Amino acid sequence: MSRWRRSVDELAARRRQHECERAQDALSRVTSCFQQLVASLGSSADGSFLRDELDETRTVAHRICSGNAWLSCRLLRLLSDSDSAPSGVQDRQVLERLWVLFLSALEHFLYDLRKACDLIGQFPLAERSNRRLLVNTGCVDGVVGVAARVASVQLPWLTSEVEPSPDLTNHITGLETMMSEMQQRVPVAFWSVEATQPAWAEARGEPDDLVESLEDLMEVEIIAGSQKTACCGLGCIA
Amino acid sequence: MKAHFGPAQSGAYSLSRLTSKHKATSKRAEKVVLEMQDPATGVKLQPQRLVITTIPHAITGEDIVQICLFYSEARSFGSMLVALGYIYPIQDHKRLVVKPDASLYRFQTPYFWPTQQWPVEDTDYAIYLAKRNIRKKGILELHEQEQYNRLHKWMNHKWDFIVMQAKEQYRAAKERKKPDRVVFDCQERAYWVVHRPPVRTHTGMFPSLQKTFMIFTQQSIMRPRVKSSVSIGALVKYCATYKGHDPFLSKCLPSNPWLTDDVTYWALNMPNVEIPTKMRVERWTFSFGELLSDPRGRDDFRLFLKKEFSGENLAFWEGCEDLKWGTAATMKEKAEQIYKTFLARGAPRWINIDGKTMEITVKGLKHPHRYVLDAAQTHIYMLMKKVSKHVSSDSQLEQNARNRRPSLSPIIIRQQEQEQKAKMAASAPVDITQLCRFTTPVPHLAVYSGITDPPSANASPSLPFLAHTPACPSPISVALDSTSASERRAEASEGESEGNPEARASAGGNVSKSRVALSLRRLLKRGCTPSSMFASLSPKCNSAAGTSSRIQPITPDEPSQAPPRRIGNFFQIKVDIPPECRIYPIESEDEDEENRAISRERLGTKEIICPWESLTPQNGTG
Repeated sequence: MSRWRRSVDELAARRRQHECERAQDALSRVTSCFQQLVASLGSSADGSFLRDELDETRTVAHRICSGNAWLSCRLLRLLSDSDSAPSGVQDRQVLERLWVLFLSALEHFLYDLRKACDLIGQFPLAERSNRRLLVNTGCVDGVVGVAARVASVQLPWLTSEVEPSPDLTNHITGLETMMSEMQQRVPVAFWSVEATQPAWAEARGEPDDLVESLEDLMEVEIIAGSQKTACCGLGCIA
Repeated sequence: MKAHFGPAQSGAYSLSRLTSKHKATSKRAEKVVLEMQDPATGVKLQPQRLVITTIPHAITGEDIVQICLFYSEARSFGSMLVALGYIYPIQDHKRLVVKPDASLYRFQTPYFWPTQQWPVEDTDYAIYLAKRNIRKKGILELHEQEQYNRLHKWMNHKWDFIVMQAKEQYRAAKERKKPDRVVFDCQERAYWVVHRPPVRTHTGMFPSLQKTFMIFTQQSIMRPRVKSSVSIGALVKYCATYKGHDPFLSKCLPSNPWLTDDVTYWALNMPNVEIPTKMRVERWTFSFGELLSDPRGRDDFRLFLKKEFSGENLAFWEGCEDLKWGTAATMKEKAEQIYKTFLARGAPRWINIDGKTMEITVKGLKHPHRYVLDAAQTHIYMLMKKVSKHVSSDSQLEQNARNRRPSLSPIIIRQQEQEQKAKMAASAPVDITQLCRFTTPVPHLAVYSGITDPPSANASPSLPFLAHTPACPSPISVALDSTSASERRAEASEGESEGNPEARASAGGNVSKSRVALSLRRLLKRGCTPSSMFASLSPKCNSAAGTSSRIQPITPDEPSQAPPRRIGNFFQIKVDIPPECRIYPIESEDEDEENRAISRERLGTKEIICPWESLTPQNGTG
């Protein structure tokens, strides 16, 4: 193969890889927001707004996951890499890593989806009387901020066809099928993938963040001389 | 092929029972929790005042206790709710108990409820720990640090995802309003206190379900495993071996009783039948266990062992079986009896087991139970098994080595018996049924029973026996190398034999010098007591044998002398007999005089050939 041809191929491969990584980031963001939403299901913060947001988030996630470009590019590359050697072992390792990360993200998302399905079934909001059963957890609001965050997610590629997003149950089954298919078609050894960051690395990061620990947040006013005994104080370690 | 229910399976069973118990409890708890939400009848809510904000929906411990009583649940129900995780303490969050005072609690959001169908995932815990790591800049509690390191090792392949997700979750949580954020953090923290407690967390209630699950999985890992190719191979081999012997899978002769209502098949295969069928004998070749479990085979083996002066082994083994399967009341005496007979020093039928096993057994006998003799029994079983193998192989070797005295394994001999019987039956169909014709309906006499050595048993001496018995003296008396000449001689001098069961005519036969096998038991049945038999073994008697006048059995009823029967070799083994053996040595007699002379002299080391009574063909004509 001519060198020009090879460099073109390499560039294309690298671009695709970057796309995958950005898609992975987007998926993480969407699933974490999804978790915040699902955590409010069945609680006093539950409501139609929450449920709508839930669906929206799900749709975005669905679009990311089933982006044909993504999947096909993954599959293609991993399958074809077994034939063509020159991209090298390192590239293959990178691809395998991405593959494993994607599958883990899918699995995690599926877990939350199932919980959501069960909770929606357990706390239907069809009638007003149902609201009485909602658990008073202390959360009252929502999730506007979270919803905004979801909306800010950018898909790494343009989807030509906008598929209608499936309802919850179908979404779950679709993901399950996709996962099992992926695992069967591409043999990737999970154990050969290694983390790029060492342990405890995340503790050192993010200096720009004002980190507030839970103890700080739970600080209680100690009113001198009052009978109030409820005191959280710094004695208890969060 | 036995199915073993190891600890893992029973663990699984108890685990499922535990989980279903938890399930029922959880359902009840959820129901009550939902009822508590009722604004009218539910529990009283109050706000929790913090510096930064006020968070509603807190409940005091007192109120919890009261409401549980109100719902006519026990006082401990409240504690159970906390232990399970439906309610969490806000202040002393590590102690999952209800303090009946003003300490505050809150309801857990349904997302964090402990429902069975949502298994607690390690991945989630890893993400939680990473999040805490970010927040607390690496300052985690000891057990959390340990868990973190462990998960980092085991989940290394998805660690990047875990960290990424932790960061994203952290950022997403920040998007929420402060009070909600506090609440969510408390909820999450409480969830993990319930499901990943540090070892000394005081739950106040049940043992953790997870601990049981951990034990279960540990046991599963330790369970021994076999490759399916290996186990399937064994299964195939078993089926191939036994296929022909299964009356449902292959044709059984004479006819399948389940189909034709003709019970001949069963009659032929009775435990105490005179002549075992060919298939039966073939079955004994499959394994030693088969031989031993078939009473007919065991009888033959017993006799063989007796010849080798090791009948006590089988007797001991049978005694052990008796102990294992017997009634509990008799166990102690049986164990003592066995000890006295077989194990004690100087016991009448002392068995030879190694020192270690003996030590264990004697120690165990201080507190006898059903299986106290298991070690010794296994030892003896293996010994017998080796012997049985040695026999057939040895006879083959003998055959190769000395053509003059070819000996066949008892199995082959029997097969030949049957074949020849069948051949002899003139116009009858070649059928095992024919064998019956050669069977004398001699009453079954159990010569040996269990432990007691029964010379006196039921060998009813008074038997028609004599005319036919060639040998009372026989088996042990003389082994004739049956050449055709001697055969014919024997035949000729054979008296009336009413239906010798032995039908065997080896005349000519397939093997020129075939021995005919005849059960010693049959022999003894004819009333030859071992003592008399042995007595006749003295050299003195032997000399008489050579001259074709018989060694007389001592029983009074014995009228005639039968000429020495043709005697077949059933087993041929070399054995060293110590001169001081209590039983008279077996002399092997050869048609060759010199050999006989030599053997007579060498009383110490003898080649022992167990002679079997020869079979007369005369009654064979059917």
